[in-house]
Amino acid sequence: MREPLTRAAGLVLVAGYAAFLGWLFAIQPKTMAEAVGGVAAGLGAYAVDSQAFSDGLSYFRNDQFAEARTAFARADPARRDARTQFYIAYSFYREGWHRTHRDDGLYQQGLAAVERAIEVAPGGRLVVDDANLQMHSADELKVELARGLGASVSDLNPLRLLESRK
Amino acid sequence: MSALAEAVVLPTVFLTVVLIAGVRPGAAVSLVPPSLASLVAATALLGLLVRSGAVAPGRLVNPARTLLANLNGFSVLVALFAASAQIVTALVPESGLPAAIVWTVFGALLLQAFAIGPDRTRVLRGLLVTFGAAFTLKFVVLSAISSPAEGRIARALQLLFEGVTLGTVMQRPQGLAEGYLAFAATAMYLIGVAFLPSASWEMIRVLTRMALPGDRGDDVNTNGSDVLDSSRR
Repeated sequence: MREPLTRAAGLVLVAGYAAFLGWLFAIQPKTMAEAVGGVAAGLGAYAVDSQAFSDGLSYFRNDQFAEARTAFARADPARRDARTQFYIAYSFYREGWHRTHRDDGLYQQGLAAVERAIEVAPGGRLVVDDANLQMHSADELKVELARGLGASVSDLNPLRLLESRK
Repeated sequence: MSALAEAVVLPTVFLTVVLIAGVRPGAAVSLVPPSLASLVAATALLGLLVRSGAVAPGRLVNPARTLLANLNGFSVLVALFAASAQIVTALVPESGLPAAIVWTVFGALLLQAFAIGPDRTRVLRGLLVTFGAAFTLKFVVLSAISSPAEGRIARALQLLFEGVTLGTVMQRPQGLAEGYLAFAATAMYLIGVAFLPSASWEMIRVLTRMALPGDRGDDVNTNGSDVLDSSRR
């Protein structure tokens, strides 16, 4: 009786371990926090640090973007929360936006962050209800960041100097 | 072999080898799956382990066992294959001339081992030496050559060496822990292989007779139950 139990338990354990390894190789976590957060999110037990998120939001509204990203990273170490990733992407957009040009490096990072946000959002749809923002959906932000990275004839249009930051 | 060892210990050891041999620590940690070439090498390596008697698949999976026991045995074989592929990926240099040389030597050694037909002990010794040499080459010699030089003279010499060899020897700089992880993975793999259920002398003799042309293997039941009985004796 004892041996079949050992064998069955071993089979379940090994199958679980193999599935975990497959998942790790598939998602490629960069840090231990990402790996642990990914597991927690899979079990529905992942939550952002609300205090750190509030700090990040305050910094973001004061245009302290680097500080905001630090706080957002603390709030969502596993990068599994769509809303936090959206704000990180938005901070890259606002910091990289200049009247005369766009900072490609920051826009690239913003694009990566908004893609992460879309990836973890349920059904890939993310709408943030924040009156301080002019772009409320991840789709709008993604297009805006991608437009800033691309080069086109419209970049030479002098009327672009009259555009405002969203 | 106990049920615990077969169902839990061996597959876990080999799966752990898959994990730690695939980790590339650094500023951004990454997990590298086995390369396609290493899958081919692992197939050959598994064939060699079976042929030498280092692992007896007939003791892990056969019709006389229960379904659960066969599934456990199958999980050991699959984990062994994955670990073999991952350990080869971890020990072979990633690029350039060293990769070409090591792949060539590794292939030649495998062919030589098939031609010689060594027994379990000799195969295990051979694996220890081959993996040890590959580890030393990749994580000691090539790592020392490829790590960022300190000081202007050392940097100049490194640039000169890189120029003379047309950059074909230099490898990706390795993280501090990468060599230690590879060493641990290699040791775990070899220990795991040493504890695999091996073929008894009778099993190897019977299997060899079955493989001989003209020999009908009259004393052997084709479903392998005779082989299993021999091993139990």
